[in-house]
Amino acid sequence: MHEVFEHTADLGLRVQAPSLEVLFAEAGVGLFEIIAGDVQQIRPRVARSFEVAGTDPVWLLLDWTTELLAAFGVEKMLFREFAVTVHATGLRGTARGEPYDPAIHTLAHEIKAVTQHELDVHRTAAGWEATLIVDI
Amino acid sequence: MTDATDREFTGPLERVDECCYRIPRSYKAGMRVDGLVFADERLLPHVRSDRAAEQVANVAFLPGIQGASLAMPDIHWGYGFCIGGVCATDPAAGGVVSPGGVGYDINCGVRLMRTNLVLADVQPLLVQLVNQLIRDVPVGVGQGGRHVFTPPELRQLMREGVEYLLHRGLATDDDRACTEAEGCIAEALPELVSDRALARGQDQCGTVGAGNHFIEVQVVDRVEDARAAAAFGLAPDQICVLIHSGSRGLGYQVCDDALRALRDAPAKYGIALPDRQLVCAPVESPEGRHYLGAMRAAANYAFCNRQLLMWQVREVFARVLGRPWETLGMELVYDVAHNIAKLEEHAVGDTRKPVCVHRKGATRAFPAGHHDVPERYRAIGQPVIIPGDMGRASWVLVGGPRSLERSFGTTCHGAGRCLSRTAATRAAKGRDIRSELARGGVIARSRSREGLAEEQPAAYKDVDVVVDVVHRAGLSTKVARLRPLGVIKG
Repeated sequence: MHEVFEHTADLGLRVQAPSLEVLFAEAGVGLFEIIAGDVQQIRPRVARSFEVAGTDPVWLLLDWTTELLAAFGVEKMLFREFAVTVHATGLRGTARGEPYDPAIHTLAHEIKAVTQHELDVHRTAAGWEATLIVDI
Repeated sequence: MTDATDREFTGPLERVDECCYRIPRSYKAGMRVDGLVFADERLLPHVRSDRAAEQVANVAFLPGIQGASLAMPDIHWGYGFCIGGVCATDPAAGGVVSPGGVGYDINCGVRLMRTNLVLADVQPLLVQLVNQLIRDVPVGVGQGGRHVFTPPELRQLMREGVEYLLHRGLATDDDRACTEAEGCIAEALPELVSDRALARGQDQCGTVGAGNHFIEVQVVDRVEDARAAAAFGLAPDQICVLIHSGSRGLGYQVCDDALRALRDAPAKYGIALPDRQLVCAPVESPEGRHYLGAMRAAANYAFCNRQLLMWQVREVFARVLGRPWETLGMELVYDVAHNIAKLEEHAVGDTRKPVCVHRKGATRAFPAGHHDVPERYRAIGQPVIIPGDMGRASWVLVGGPRSLERSFGTTCHGAGRCLSRTAATRAAKGRDIRSELARGGVIARSRSREGLAEEQPAAYKDVDVVVDVVHRAGLSTKVARLRPLGVIKG
């Protein structure tokens, strides 16, 4: 699950999941919910694969979400479904969606970046929790 | 949605004078200097309402910081640095440069264009004019522009700044002369801008973007300083256009790339930081020089972005009014950055020295006589443009007599938010912001519902109060108040 929390000028995203893999996937949904408002308008027609190197979950979260944002920034890709595998040296992620089409999609926010301010990933009794703040 | 009521600042804010409060160095172990927040009693509750003052204290940790960690009266919670933050570091004393002290939107800034039109000329055409602006000028998330540049063209544009557009017939000599740094910050290193940044920026030069960016048609509501207003070509009842945008995806990527490259720098240079987002490197280090070179390139892209936006606005006015824009007196008053780091010479104590001034949501405000003020304005001082909100007002100020001694030649950059985006959205529920603005005489057009809800006037502090503080503090003084008539937003 994820929720958007308040920040004066920007937006925060808090994500909870039973595993690190689901946590990263859920962060992807949260990110595109901020961009598109409703991710249901995005059809999972195309898949993109991402490789992120690293072992620290905090940097993995930052780099994974930054890669997703760059795919929107460069290719105007909007994603809705995410699958992530964490391995010894990084993560492998697949995101499904389609390119932005103004005739079909209504967008809500331009995310400039995922910031490092108060960026956090930690274990909880139920699994994992992540906090990130995006620059709007 | 959750509320953030636990995020109030409860630390010390000691009164220095009627416009300034101090966070003493003793507040947190690791602060190298005091924090100073320019605010008065009216704004103090806003200062305490979020984590911004804590961020002022955190910035005081940065190696080589000079004077104090400063914040302007439009201060609010940012990431790493607060918005409205100013920090000068001494490169010769191991002073650092921090990309977080500039922000992702490198050289986000504003430009004001005057016209020879008065309210009566434009009022009957206002709806048509605003509708044409939102049709013709790219605005909103995912909107590319009609000017598309190849990677070599982009590199040349970033090296030459507005001069590049001058050669393409998209700028005039006066446009260039009235832009900060004449639209080109020296020592830009576009070859250090990544391919991904170039890809993000290829079709975004000449686009507004979203968030708090906008183009606004305004009328001069009141002149407070007739001599300065005359020098800036401003008079009561005159129509002006205010443009607020930055370096778009290219700049965001340059910042992102730098933050990634600097991840190990604090450990390498032995820098202890209270917030990851303050990551930095000495100005005089390979990492510091790399960032500054790429940042300057992105800053030059931003000057070009606002230039192309202004050019498109001129074309829209010409189309709607049926006359060439040159006959409409559509001349640039000034273009100024409010997210930037620059090497400038300042007096610190008894010595003058070069310092790296970070302005994060803060505007350069050099006084009369300063050599960096364009010659045509040098006897008066640098024009300072302060966007307020889309319902109330914006201001033109002039660099103040005390800005150099008090704030490294800096003033505020806007009204500053007082409601979070989520709170503003809640407050807009069941209301029609567009109709409310129309009843107040403002024609607003937005690409998204969020654009108007989150940016509604109530989301911002009263810009008149913010400006009053910088005026009384001597950082910049009032020249003219402008009232919004029409606005386009993302």
